[in-house]
Amino acid sequence: MKHSVPVTINGEAQELSVEPYRSLLDALRNEMGLTGTKKGCDVGDCGACTVLMNGKPVNSCLVLAVEAKDADIVTIEGIQSAPDRLHPLQENMMKYGGSQCGFCTPGIIVMAKALLDEHPDPTEEEIRFGIAGNICRCTGYTKIVEAIQATARELAVSRKDLAP
Amino acid sequence: MNMAVVGKSVKRLDTVGKVTGTAIYAGDVSLPGMLHAKIKRSTLAHATIKRIDAGKALKLPGVKAVLTHENVPRVLHYGSPHPRSASVTRDQYILDSKVRYWGEGVAAVAATSEEIAEEARDLIEVEYEALPALLTVEEALRPSAPLIHDTGPGGNLVLEPVIVSRGDVSRGFAEADLIIEGDFKLGRPVPAYMEPNVCLCQWDGIGKLTVWISTQTPFMVRGILAEVLGLPLHNVRVLVNHMGGGFGAKQDLFQNEFLCALLAKQAKRPVRMELSRKETFLSGRSRHSGRVWLKQGFKKDGTITARQARVTFDSGAYGSHGPGVTAVGTAALTSLYRCENVHLEGRCVYTNTPIAGAFRGYGVVQTYYALDIQMDEAAERLCIDPAQLKLRNAVREGDLAPSGHPITGHGLEDCIRRGMDEVGWPQCRRQAAAPAAAQAQQENIDRRLRYGWGIGCEMHGSSAYPGIKEQGNAIIKMNEDGTVTLLTGATGLGTGTHTALAQIVAEEMGVKFEDVAVVHGDTDVVPWDIGAFASHTTFMVGRAAQMAAVEVKKQLLERAAERLEAAADDLEIAGGMISVKGVPNMAIGVREAIAPRLGMPAAHLVGTATYHPTKSYSFAAHFVQVKVDTQTGQIEVVQVVPVHEIGRVIHPVAAAGQIEGGIQQGIGHTLTEDYVIDPTDGRPLNSSFVDYKVPLSLDMPPIRTLILETAPSAGGPFGAKGVAEDPIIAIGPAITNAVYDAIGVRFRHYPITPEQVLIALRDCGQSAARDDLAA
Repeated sequence: MKHSVPVTINGEAQELSVEPYRSLLDALRNEMGLTGTKKGCDVGDCGACTVLMNGKPVNSCLVLAVEAKDADIVTIEGIQSAPDRLHPLQENMMKYGGSQCGFCTPGIIVMAKALLDEHPDPTEEEIRFGIAGNICRCTGYTKIVEAIQATARELAVSRKDLAP
Repeated sequence: MNMAVVGKSVKRLDTVGKVTGTAIYAGDVSLPGMLHAKIKRSTLAHATIKRIDAGKALKLPGVKAVLTHENVPRVLHYGSPHPRSASVTRDQYILDSKVRYWGEGVAAVAATSEEIAEEARDLIEVEYEALPALLTVEEALRPSAPLIHDTGPGGNLVLEPVIVSRGDVSRGFAEADLIIEGDFKLGRPVPAYMEPNVCLCQWDGIGKLTVWISTQTPFMVRGILAEVLGLPLHNVRVLVNHMGGGFGAKQDLFQNEFLCALLAKQAKRPVRMELSRKETFLSGRSRHSGRVWLKQGFKKDGTITARQARVTFDSGAYGSHGPGVTAVGTAALTSLYRCENVHLEGRCVYTNTPIAGAFRGYGVVQTYYALDIQMDEAAERLCIDPAQLKLRNAVREGDLAPSGHPITGHGLEDCIRRGMDEVGWPQCRRQAAAPAAAQAQQENIDRRLRYGWGIGCEMHGSSAYPGIKEQGNAIIKMNEDGTVTLLTGATGLGTGTHTALAQIVAEEMGVKFEDVAVVHGDTDVVPWDIGAFASHTTFMVGRAAQMAAVEVKKQLLERAAERLEAAADDLEIAGGMISVKGVPNMAIGVREAIAPRLGMPAAHLVGTATYHPTKSYSFAAHFVQVKVDTQTGQIEVVQVVPVHEIGRVIHPVAAAGQIEGGIQQGIGHTLTEDYVIDPTDGRPLNSSFVDYKVPLSLDMPPIRTLILETAPSAGGPFGAKGVAEDPIIAIGPAITNAVYDAIGVRFRHYPITPEQVLIALRDCGQSAARDDLAA
């Protein structure tokens, strides 16, 4: 039997119709067509499926879709600052070369956003700790860390500009 | 040469889709009415199937097709690309009545949901008759061992031994002042690409098969599917848009492509077959594990007088790239360090273990690990600094490379010298000098931690030529607004290939990078391509793209010549403007030159080119500092300074990204990664990312990448050479040599685990560890 699950996805109120055993990851990918979130292991080992649930990063493969009832979900498709403007993390992942095959990239960007939301000025160690659950097999992480550091610097400047 | 686009880290064409989640991978494609498929896998490492019964599975509501060895075509095939070459072995069936490794597919089902497909899979009954499982090379080589395959030269050999010989090793050893031999044991790392294997197959009403797939070699997938399924090539269309890594292994077919296509045919509906992570481990490809026995003779001054080696690789259950890997890995020992007297033997052996295949470094990771550690050992025994010993023997201009081609330039020496300068070698080493004051002080406080530096070197060919006859192809079309479209069969593994190709085209044509688009990923549309492997795409396809650009530029200039009333030969293009050489005010834009004229709607300007590569080699020296905790046995890589000579750099950030990623995989190989097979029944024990330890962000040290362009290749576009495979080769021996510098223990295997470090320290009586163990 399918359950009807009200949920906000990328700012839009939605109604998921899912079996009780369906993971949030599969629901996003197959029911909602949000295929930006990737399935690298389906058992919570790799972080490719990271999404924000009520502002906190989760492995969406380990969350049942029915658990997302009334939750606010943000996926890679909802990370952009505006429809025509990428989030600085997205810009910097490109600029610094933090994305190669790209399969881990959505999860890493979402995880990095959660990290910067909580720690706007992270040390390198904090960044590395923050993305330690996201496996990247292509980059050696150096350029991902650089991209996140650059973003933190940019966001700090824009916060300063906005300050009264 | 002054470059406008080449050498600049332009915004990559593929990454906008990747950072926004809009890039489409094979597993992201859905079709109306699509079914889901699952594979039933063997639970024995070696057995014949006495009975297989899919009756119950077929009765389950929602099941639309079931395949066993009884209802699939029985065609012996090459599970790998370039099927006409000697690099691969023809020894696989889609499904067989015999299983040769634990986890091999024995049946497949397609159903309306993944859950039903899984349930049906479990309902298939298989009765096995167990055969003795040969789980090691030693077992498989016993004269009394049963044969795993009827094909091949017999004795469970994948191919006749590879023998490479020159000069006279007996004479060489007789002339030596020092002879060293060692036996090196190499583990079984897997590529562990992030995207599990996946494909989606659909047949149309006239019998044409379309396959969405994650592969490095779409034209090879097309060719093998056509051959095995009995289809003409124009009735097989293979689509690869983005793919989540491959690292060599995704050159093979993995059973699932055939099964998915046949299920879709039987069910008359599209079928997606997505392997789980566990299945990607089970049925994937590993690096060849095995042994390298290596013996070298040296003069007192460090000159190498003889080199002899026996390389033995474990191919696992099928041959895959075993022949190619054995040939390339063995022949690599003819070079890197000069030696006139060489005798090398390479063997590749079937066992009832998971399949070894192509993986970044292709046999050379293993043999250069042995060679470079033995060089370190020789240096110590000859009382010569190891970097100096390597410099003295480094191959150079005019020497023969493993392929038999003369080497251009002094890339290896350049890398070693540059790295020595960068890290302050040899003073940085523990053995070379008294430890720096700060470190000495720290050691006095805490003798538990020991630091050391090591160097590892490598060279690797751009392209698989002459082992495989290769060609790069390109087609370039001019559009009527002056933009340019490149059609290429080269696959984008994630390295930035298509961006590099667009840069090369823009540079050659004198147009803006933004005005070049790249069409790829559809075998019905793009020119034939051999596949993305062998560090050759930028080198070989890049050169073909450059040649096609020359061709279309010529046509464009002829057209512009009429407008400018000048000879085409007197024209040049730069920044999108065509001008008469030396008369910059006599100019028109590219757009103006190509624009419709005389009522004709468009000019048809097309350049096409085929490039047969020559051989080029890239070089690297990696300098590594490690920290060894003598209480826990933990080895930590503290910093890496990789120096690579790769000819002209097309995209510096992408090139550095290749190097850093290769180092990450190499650190994993050397310290943590090993796909472990249960010695009692052949079952793999760590088919997950929890149990198979790839380096994570916290495990990775700072990497200070240095790229040299001192020995450009005349065969590559603007002098470019390959870079993809090089970094994974040099890092391993650099780490192991650094561990020796730190604790004085010479390891001759990988991966080196903390437990082994502790045991070794105890055995050599180093106090810190011994005291702790006693306590």
